[in-house]
Amino acid sequence: MSAVLHAHPESGPAIGVAGTGKPNRALSEAGLRGRWWRFTAILAITAIMLVPIVVTVLLAFTPGPNSTATGLTFENISNVFSKTLAATWLQNSLVTTLSTVVVSVAVAAPAGYVLSRGRSKAVSGYSLLLFVMQSLPIITSVVPLFILFAGMGLVDNLMGLTIIYVGSTMTVATWMMAAYFDSIPISLEEASWIDGCSVFGSFTKVVLRNSLPGVLSTAIFAFLLAWNDYLVAIVFLRSNEIFTLPMGVQSFFQQNQTDWSGVMALAVIMMLPPIIVFASLNKYFSVGGIGGSLAGR
Amino acid sequence: MALTTAQTGLNRARRGVAPGGPGKPANRKSKLSSQTRKTFFWLLLPSIALVILINGYPLVYASIQATHNGSLLDTGEFVGLDNFATVLASEAFWKAARFTLVFTIVGVFGSWLLGLGLALLLRTKIPAGGTFKVLLLLPWVVPIVVSSTAWNWLVGTPDSLIPSIFRNLGLGTPLFLADPTLAAITVCIFKVWVSFPFMMMMTSAALASVDTTVYEAASMDGATRWQQFSQITLPLIARSTYISWILMTIFCVNDFPTIYLLTGGGPVDATTSLVVLAYRTVFQDFQTGPGVAIAFLMTITLVVISVILYRQIRKSSVE
Repeated sequence: MSAVLHAHPESGPAIGVAGTGKPNRALSEAGLRGRWWRFTAILAITAIMLVPIVVTVLLAFTPGPNSTATGLTFENISNVFSKTLAATWLQNSLVTTLSTVVVSVAVAAPAGYVLSRGRSKAVSGYSLLLFVMQSLPIITSVVPLFILFAGMGLVDNLMGLTIIYVGSTMTVATWMMAAYFDSIPISLEEASWIDGCSVFGSFTKVVLRNSLPGVLSTAIFAFLLAWNDYLVAIVFLRSNEIFTLPMGVQSFFQQNQTDWSGVMALAVIMMLPPIIVFASLNKYFSVGGIGGSLAGR
Repeated sequence: MALTTAQTGLNRARRGVAPGGPGKPANRKSKLSSQTRKTFFWLLLPSIALVILINGYPLVYASIQATHNGSLLDTGEFVGLDNFATVLASEAFWKAARFTLVFTIVGVFGSWLLGLGLALLLRTKIPAGGTFKVLLLLPWVVPIVVSSTAWNWLVGTPDSLIPSIFRNLGLGTPLFLADPTLAAITVCIFKVWVSFPFMMMMTSAALASVDTTVYEAASMDGATRWQQFSQITLPLIARSTYISWILMTIFCVNDFPTIYLLTGGGPVDATTSLVVLAYRTVFQDFQTGPGVAIAFLMTITLVVISVILYRQIRKSSVE
């Protein structure tokens, strides 16, 4: 909606500098009309695409059927915290997700380093194994893991959930790190080796220190995977107080009458962290990831 | 999510360099000292342990389960390929396979066409283009649990917003999630809605690497817009297109939450995909063997499709 408001002031001055590639066409009458047509089209598409998200936000801040409040209100948000276990679910999700992020990076970074620097049959074999593993459906491994974890008391347990999340990030996270380390020249390390640094030393002091974008994009990947997961959670979590947010949101639908104000309030809480992470770290993810690997073909 | 990496994975595999950076002199690293070798081993060990625990062990155990008539509590007796025979003979399996096929085709090409169209639109100069690009990523960034809740509110019951609009327009009251055919269509549209930002990002990144001077030369030679698109743009982004198809095929075939959260697989199993069927067979009917067999058949199909598309990639990058 706000895009409409911004459209007019921004469009005016932009016209003069339009069409860097094709100056003649951009300045013509037809070119201008084309621009406005395209703008209207993209505006309409965006507006339609965002309906579900706008609806979620609106309902979360609109007073519920039994409320006396008028206008927009934070009542639903405070209700969902006081009347359900939302605070516990949020905490569970945060703990699980942050542990997944930290452990994934801590395990994938050294492995990625070996994949990037090591040149032996064993290392290439491992890389190929990771490639095969990553296309396997999670449902195949969930059943055996459920049986294994049941024996170890890790079902209905946040630690069990975290272990599975870390395991399922491993293939992709290792590659992401390896791909980033590939871009760090080995000459940097050689200098430190001459100064008497060990391989492990040069990995931590030289390579890791220069790999913040790589680490961040791996962290974002692990974050999104753990935060959004539903399949593993529905299989492994049983009790209300162990639920993560996705299970918490779903628990609203088990009742006869869905409390839409409540579920939307919780939904807004759940979608905020990924949006914040994406908005602030977007450039590491897209530019460092897709852009880089496509450009490097 | 997995975009970056599967991409890089493919890149690395394509170059035939699983390990090692591109073009680094091989001889430099070929004589690893035993000390270095030891360090490498320790650095790799945690990752190997996790991959064995979370990926390797389950795969082995699952193949045992698939050939036994056990349950979640007990392995049961060896039954050979009986589970596969049972599954392949059941109507539910083929119904789910058909739906998975439709869901995947619509999911892959629907989101690709929409993503490609938007990427092409956003490549041109548009007022506030950057803002639109970010806003259009939201369907992909918002967790499925959240967006499925919103979709449920919009279309779930006859009194929901969208059916009410249809009614007021005199178009009857469509039962988006209760009518089998409509439910299948709704789930597919939901999947396209969730996935198009991913395709848009992939295509945008590929388009950004296309040299714009090619178009100037082409339009000087009198090529029409459509010719420029079909004979220059598409071939130039072919490799990235095939990669995005592979990834989206994997996402669609393996997808559980998009379907399960919107319809639960119903009505009358009309939206039961293979993953949903496998999940139900194991965790609701407690038939571990057939459930795992379904997952295996799915995996095999996926691998075959990936290999075919992977060949296409190699071909397109050779050209």
